[in-house]
Amino acid sequence: MSTLEIKDLYASVETKDGRKQILKGVNLTVNSGETHAIMGPNGSGKSTLAYTLAGHPKYEVESGQVLLDGEDLLTMTPDERAKAGLFLAMQYPVEVPGVSMTNFLRTAKTEIDGQAPAIRTWTKELTEAMKRLKMDPKFATRSVNEGFSGGEKKRAEVLQLELLKPKFAVLDETDSGLDVDALRIVSEGVNRARENTGLGILMVTHYTRILKYIKPDIVHVFADGHFVKTGGPELADELEESGYDQFLPEGADSESALA
Amino acid sequence: MAENTEITIPVADPNDPYAVPAAMPSSADRAPRSFDLDAFAMPTSRQEEWRYTPLDRVAEFLDVFEPSGLTTVEVTGIDGSPLDPAQVGVEVVDRTVAPSGTVSKPSDRISAVEWNVVKTATVVTLHGDVAQPVRITVTGGGDAPDALHLVIAADAGTHADVVVEHHGMARLAEGVEIVTGRDSNLSTTFIQEWEKGSKHVGGHRIHVGENASLRHSMVTLGGDVVRIRMDQDFGGPQGDLNMLGIYFADPGEHIEHRTMVVHNHPDCKSRVVYKGALDGQGAHSTWVGNALIQPTAPGTDSYELNRNLVLTPGAIADSEPNLEIENGNIIGAGHASSVGRFDDEELFYLQSRGIPETEARKLVVRGFFGELVEEIGIPQIGDHLMSIIDRRLARGESEAMTTVWEEK
Repeated sequence: MSTLEIKDLYASVETKDGRKQILKGVNLTVNSGETHAIMGPNGSGKSTLAYTLAGHPKYEVESGQVLLDGEDLLTMTPDERAKAGLFLAMQYPVEVPGVSMTNFLRTAKTEIDGQAPAIRTWTKELTEAMKRLKMDPKFATRSVNEGFSGGEKKRAEVLQLELLKPKFAVLDETDSGLDVDALRIVSEGVNRARENTGLGILMVTHYTRILKYIKPDIVHVFADGHFVKTGGPELADELEESGYDQFLPEGADSESALA
Repeated sequence: MAENTEITIPVADPNDPYAVPAAMPSSADRAPRSFDLDAFAMPTSRQEEWRYTPLDRVAEFLDVFEPSGLTTVEVTGIDGSPLDPAQVGVEVVDRTVAPSGTVSKPSDRISAVEWNVVKTATVVTLHGDVAQPVRITVTGGGDAPDALHLVIAADAGTHADVVVEHHGMARLAEGVEIVTGRDSNLSTTFIQEWEKGSKHVGGHRIHVGENASLRHSMVTLGGDVVRIRMDQDFGGPQGDLNMLGIYFADPGEHIEHRTMVVHNHPDCKSRVVYKGALDGQGAHSTWVGNALIQPTAPGTDSYELNRNLVLTPGAIADSEPNLEIENGNIIGAGHASSVGRFDDEELFYLQSRGIPETEARKLVVRGFFGELVEEIGIPQIGDHLMSIIDRRLARGESEAMTTVWEEK
């Protein structure tokens, strides 16, 4: 049983108009096996939260703590955070030319586990995991994410999630750009990881569509850099009906308010 | 209307070749070829040929010197076993005894100095189907400048693979002649794994026989200054030349490769692919790829490519492909060149999967070179090269990671 606690987190980013504060006092506790949906309008800071947790150098933490079983992730490098048990499934996975998926996955697995996986069982595990995600075996020999379609990249993210077995996963709009079939396959992968390892999930999304496949225990509304409302799965349905406008400050011209 | 105006093309001043953009210097390279030292002026950085080279760091090789004679050469099978003398001959002869001195002539002052100070040549002759790759181990003789002349001659119809490994501490001017007979199939792989502070200059003069194929690989992974020039021509139609290069420059190192491919016969093919990684302040690499397609070479198929991967800021990669096509009836003549940076987003992605920054860099470099090593296609040589690249990357490696790579 593990716990991820975000305590009063403030973070900012350098823009061409100067430093801009994006996260404004984020508080959240996620336990193993729990699935939290984080919903909110465009530009509210959901992705910033995801990247700040993973340690992207672009985002500067101003104050607050992120504790994984009591250890502060914010003092760690991104690779140390991954070793501590955090995983970020990215909205736009990065292409790494020249590095084959096979080598990449094996290197990551070795680093996370602290020892190289036994070659036979590893190959079998990889092959089966790819099969379940309906990935073409030739992906293993291709460069990391290079030339993958949007859907293939998302499957590759979930493949890593299943193989690296983190304690907590942040899924940053994993549903975006997926057709219905791909959405189902990717969701099944996430659900398998949750069942097999007791994974705790923070699922960042705009839409309720993915919540039909990955059932959240708790739904949060994120607006203007912090959580503004928390409820059960029924909150998602409510948002579907009424949108996010009610959570935006008067006169705010957010993208969804304009839409 | 000035209908009869004659167009005059300005001629480049050899002392300032880029003064007139319309008259770029010719990659046809009309520079002298001579065994006579006086045929070559003392290099200056204003000469095209020397503009990238730190001349002060190779000064000891620019004029006649007394070689220390301390460099050693050993010729064995790739696993250290003895060779079949019926297939592989090894002799040390006076430098003027053929085939030594028969493959073209020195093309720059460093090569002319080497020829004039060296007394003997180590000649390796190859006959028939040589099953086991031949390893020539050159061990540097320390701080004092030395010269070495090496000749690799493959008879008509020979199939053989040769690996030349350079180790130790050296100040070496090395001249290499490679001559391949008709219908032969030869691979030569030169590995520079010098200790820190070493210097290695010189040239390869290469003659590819009619309907013969040569794969010439350069792998330069260490040395304070390394500058090697390759000059090649064909002995008849249907020749196939494949040049591969891998280099890795550390802070303060200068690694320079210059290839000069000459298509002088019909229907020959050439490929030149050089890839380099640079790490740290003052790391400097130079690749100059010249290709000349002469009027006598219809049906030529040529291509050259150079890619550089800059791992950390402060490194400089110079990349210069030059093509001169004097024959319109060819299959192809292309070139590509790039200098790229190991991107922060790539680094973050790998890190977010638990891979520390130093390991992430190695993974990317290994992949970058691995693509090229795979092309070599001879497993014994490819594996050997990968293990050398891994050794180069593994300085301070964790044991777990070493295992991952060995199991590949």
